[in-house]
Amino acid sequence: MKKCCVILLSLFLCVGLAACAETKLLERVGLVTLVGYDFGKEEAVETTAVVRQVSTELQSKVAIITAENATTQGTRAKVNNRAAEKIMSGQLRGVLFGEEFASAGIGHNIETSLRNSTISGAMLLAVVEGETRPMLEYPYPEIDDIGEHIYKLLKQNIASEQVVSSTLHEVAHDYYSVGRDVAIPLLNRDEELIEISGIALFRRDKMVGKLSVEDSFYVKLMRDNYHAGSYEMKLKGEDLPTSLLKDPPDEINVVFDPIKTRKDVKLVNPTTPEFDLHITVQVRLLEIKPNINVGEVKNAEELEKVIGTGLSAELSRVIADCQEIGSDVFGFGEFYRSSVRHSELTEEKWHAMFKEMKVNIDFDVTLLRSGIFE
Amino acid sequence: MSEKKSELASTQQSSAIESDHTGSAVSDSTDEFIQSVRDAVHNTSDLVVKSIPPNLTLFYIDNLVDNQTLKQHVLKELLKYPFQSPQYMLSFLSIPQVKLEGETGKAVRAMMDGTVLIHVEGYTQVVLANIPTTESRALSAPEMESQVIGAQVAFNESLSTNISLIRRYIKNPNLCNENLEVGKQTKTSIAMIFIKGVASEEMVNTLRQRITDLETDSALDSSILEQMIDDNSLSIFPQMLLTERPDKLCAELLNGKLGLIVDGSSLAIVCPHTFLEFFQSQEDQNLRWQIATFVRLLRFSAVVLSVFLTPMYVAALTYHYEVIPQTLVVPLSESRALVPFPPLFEALLLEMIIELLREAGVRLPSKVGQTIGIVGGIVIGTAAVQAGITSNILIIIIALGALSSFTTPSYMMGNVIRLIRFPLILVAGLWGFYGIMLGFCCIMIELLRQSSLGSPYTAPFYPPRLIDWRDSLVRLPLPFTFKRPSNTRPEDKNKYEPEPINPENDEQKVT
Amino acid sequence: MKNSVQIGPSDTISAFLLFFIVHGAQIGVGIHGFQRIIYQDAKQDAWISVILAGLATHIIAIFMLKTLEIYGSNDLYGIHQDIFGKWIGNFFNIIYISYCSVAFFAVLRNYIEVVQTWVFPDLNTWFLTVSLLLIVMYAFTGGLRVIVGVSFFSAVLSIWLFPMLAFPMKFIEPRSLLPILDSDFSEILKGVHSMTFTVIGFEILYVIYPFVKDKEKAKKHVHLGLFVTTLIYLAVMLVTLTYFSGAQLTKTIWATLTLFGVVKFPFIERIEYFVVCFWLLIILPNLCLFIWSAFRGAKRLVKVSANKFVWLFSLIIFGVSFMFKTRPQINTFNDYYSQVAFYIVFVYPILLYVLAVAKKKFKSHKEQIE
Repeated sequence: MKKCCVILLSLFLCVGLAACAETKLLERVGLVTLVGYDFGKEEAVETTAVVRQVSTELQSKVAIITAENATTQGTRAKVNNRAAEKIMSGQLRGVLFGEEFASAGIGHNIETSLRNSTISGAMLLAVVEGETRPMLEYPYPEIDDIGEHIYKLLKQNIASEQVVSSTLHEVAHDYYSVGRDVAIPLLNRDEELIEISGIALFRRDKMVGKLSVEDSFYVKLMRDNYHAGSYEMKLKGEDLPTSLLKDPPDEINVVFDPIKTRKDVKLVNPTTPEFDLHITVQVRLLEIKPNINVGEVKNAEELEKVIGTGLSAELSRVIADCQEIGSDVFGFGEFYRSSVRHSELTEEKWHAMFKEMKVNIDFDVTLLRSGIFE
Repeated sequence: MSEKKSELASTQQSSAIESDHTGSAVSDSTDEFIQSVRDAVHNTSDLVVKSIPPNLTLFYIDNLVDNQTLKQHVLKELLKYPFQSPQYMLSFLSIPQVKLEGETGKAVRAMMDGTVLIHVEGYTQVVLANIPTTESRALSAPEMESQVIGAQVAFNESLSTNISLIRRYIKNPNLCNENLEVGKQTKTSIAMIFIKGVASEEMVNTLRQRITDLETDSALDSSILEQMIDDNSLSIFPQMLLTERPDKLCAELLNGKLGLIVDGSSLAIVCPHTFLEFFQSQEDQNLRWQIATFVRLLRFSAVVLSVFLTPMYVAALTYHYEVIPQTLVVPLSESRALVPFPPLFEALLLEMIIELLREAGVRLPSKVGQTIGIVGGIVIGTAAVQAGITSNILIIIIALGALSSFTTPSYMMGNVIRLIRFPLILVAGLWGFYGIMLGFCCIMIELLRQSSLGSPYTAPFYPPRLIDWRDSLVRLPLPFTFKRPSNTRPEDKNKYEPEPINPENDEQKVT
Repeated sequence: MKNSVQIGPSDTISAFLLFFIVHGAQIGVGIHGFQRIIYQDAKQDAWISVILAGLATHIIAIFMLKTLEIYGSNDLYGIHQDIFGKWIGNFFNIIYISYCSVAFFAVLRNYIEVVQTWVFPDLNTWFLTVSLLLIVMYAFTGGLRVIVGVSFFSAVLSIWLFPMLAFPMKFIEPRSLLPILDSDFSEILKGVHSMTFTVIGFEILYVIYPFVKDKEKAKKHVHLGLFVTTLIYLAVMLVTLTYFSGAQLTKTIWATLTLFGVVKFPFIERIEYFVVCFWLLIILPNLCLFIWSAFRGAKRLVKVSANKFVWLFSLIIFGVSFMFKTRPQINTFNDYYSQVAFYIVFVYPILLYVLAVAKKKFKSHKEQIE
């Protein structure tokens, strides 16, 4: 027994010295934190990688490296050739696509990223208006690490429910699902600032259109439930009954925060198809201009009604826009598939039906409270 | 295996006694007896042979007997009543321990314990008057297992004092004290203590067997004895507890365990003991149960932290940079930027430094020891970071690990925690998380393979004894812990009959 | 019975531990990626297949326990010898021993494949094999007490993995499960059949039953163990089905591990790297129990000591591990293995029960005549 232990131990030590895994020392690898894909000038893909490198001055610095090749993995090898440290993608936080690149299709990139075990499913995707390379290479005076900045920008806005969430997993989910199309935040560089300018709409893996930030609220409303978002909407003056406000201006701005929504979708006619959409919204009124006293029950009820009609008008407009370009980012197809037995739904079938789809919208708005001052 | 050993040992021991040439009867002639005693002790220079004419001869070893008592109670009385038979001496010698002995060997052995032999010419029996010097230091506060709440007294090196300490806690005639002897050369006396009717008879027999079967020269300290009688001497884990606290020993005796006290050693052995119990302190019983539970959980998580934190650091930085959150990547990589070694060597180096500091602190006189701690901790730590051979984040991790390893109440187990980190760091540096899991599984299997006096080492978790979980990682209020731990296989399973908790309070609530 | 197992009192285990043994023997490498395989058959109704497979394990366990109860204190090997006589019985024993060895190898090789794909692409297969074999040897030579202990701690220490399912729950879409029962029954049954590789392991009952101290309680704990396993599979399956979209799931090889990819703590993220390595603790009872039951059988055939057996066994496994290099080879092996396992675990016990009852009737009948 004892002898056996000794043999085991010595054998193990021998084995240990013989086999040792390849090390990936944190400070000796170049960590890619952000990658941008564009069409290359000569070859298929131009990759711009934001690489964080650690120098001996106890300061980390960021290098922007660009390379062209036929495949994305090929560009990776080329980027490696141009970097001082070995390039590793395990800390990749975001992937940007140029607008043109996205229009040609990002399906292949999604598939490659999923295949790679080092790439996290929580990585964020975004589309850049124009090309990614000028955005990443621009010398921003206020931004040290462009990779981290863009990641935080996206993450913060997703967390505060300003824009649809676009983690690799969610994008892949929509990409592979039959009844929902991909929607990805759209970034734009405004001189020295980077801002979210809306969302990019996809049909399968190709970008087919975009929506403004205001309109993307309705996309998110349909995809997820709001828990803590905020939204500013414009009401038309003429919609307002005179009992609320005499002589209303053309536009009335209303800001709510936070919003809680719940939606209820019913397929009423599978052949057309036709949906009944009932959305309950609970809001806290943050600002209304010009001021209306919502402390009175009657006023509040009137206002709720007006907001409801305003919201449904906007939503139907956004849905119609998307129907036109044939991108079901709302996931109506998913509702269809889950409501109809043996639907055998395919992507083509649904996209054909989507164009003919009818939606009856009904909003139920509740004003919960309006701050500490009336 | 132990049975085989025991058979062998018992036959050899008996033969050793027979071959002892001093086993002969006491001679009635004074000269002959003097000669035989001299032979038996090989003419040692501190043997005092004092003749009291006409017929008495006194033998004793200088400094082993109390001179004061010798003068006042032995010599004085003997001079007062000369020409008496040994039988009569028993009655007039005014000292508590006097007896007759007819065998030279036994008489000489008694002499080594501080006995005066009184030989009367013409009689074949000698009087043994036991008047040993009581040279032992005063009782002092426990050093290794100090507690805030609880008795501030520790065992000292005297067997009789230690036993009297225990008797003061447990005033019960069922408290058995069996005297055993170990060591062919040293003849160290050992007291085996247990409460009859509580401790398992089977375990008492096993332990007695193990001690009597020991074939060894000496047992100079209880820690040595522990290593000789435990279940698996090759294992890194101690299987019996060494404690210097009489209250701890008594509490364990009441749990049905057995205690061993070795003459000349200030540590008592408690067995059987489980792995988890090494992390329990006697103070846990003295504190309110919520606090005790918190402290126990804290202590145990400290151990886990101490063992696995540094390996995790090494593994993550060497192989798994993916798992580091974004907010930690920058500080970690920047602190590592200047370090020329891979994390494995960096961690081993720093751990070695900590161990060196600790060892130096123990060896040096206490006043210097404190300075070493400060010098080592501050000077070496800062200098190492500034010189760029270690990262400051690792210093924090190692210091945390070292701090955690001090929380183990048992020093012996603390040492294990100290040592076990090194192989783990090594495997983490070789194979990352996979290596850590290999190491972890090894430790787990090793723990499962151990037993303490035949009872499972990993109790009460495996084999699962749910009732014992009440006093394990957590400590529930005393009314819930009325059972003795079942791994001691107690004869009497309950400490007391469970009663409804605070019945009066319930009544009060109703009215 | 003449050839019943002789067990000393120190070797027996309490029935309570059967829960951990059954549970530990079942959960292993199958749970890494069973969702994809079941989904291919039963689509979004895969969770029904999981429930049905769980039910099947309960039914088979009832047959196993009934067969064992007829014999009181005897294991499968002894039952074989009793029913079929020495020669044919031993032939069946050899088949069962080989089955255990193949199961051992399947667990080992699949785990190594996961480690190599996910964490250490450059770590040699032979090194991983040797390190796993050494750990198994170490546990095995400790005896049944240690093996059962490993099962116990493996189950208890892995509990923390279960609440981690809450992290992917943030992304789930319960609508994906609708419409329920969209697949027809034959497809769901096919899914049940595909569950074989994932749910097997509880056939360890056949070998461990004689070692149980309080046999009347065994039933309860066995079924509890099977139930908990089914529950875990069901929870994982439900989360997976709602977390992934259909086509995405068919392309995700180890969906469970991918689920762990979204777990994020302030001090660690991407815990699937750790979980893959942690899985060593979960497959350890698998390996130990399979090698142990192979050993019990081998002991019936030839006089062999545990030490000799474990070295020989490890050498063979080590040698065989060189035969499988690529993923397609491993997949083919898995397919064949689960085919065979289906017959051995799900069909054969019923047959054996019928034979055992018939034999008993025949015997008592004969005694009456005499």
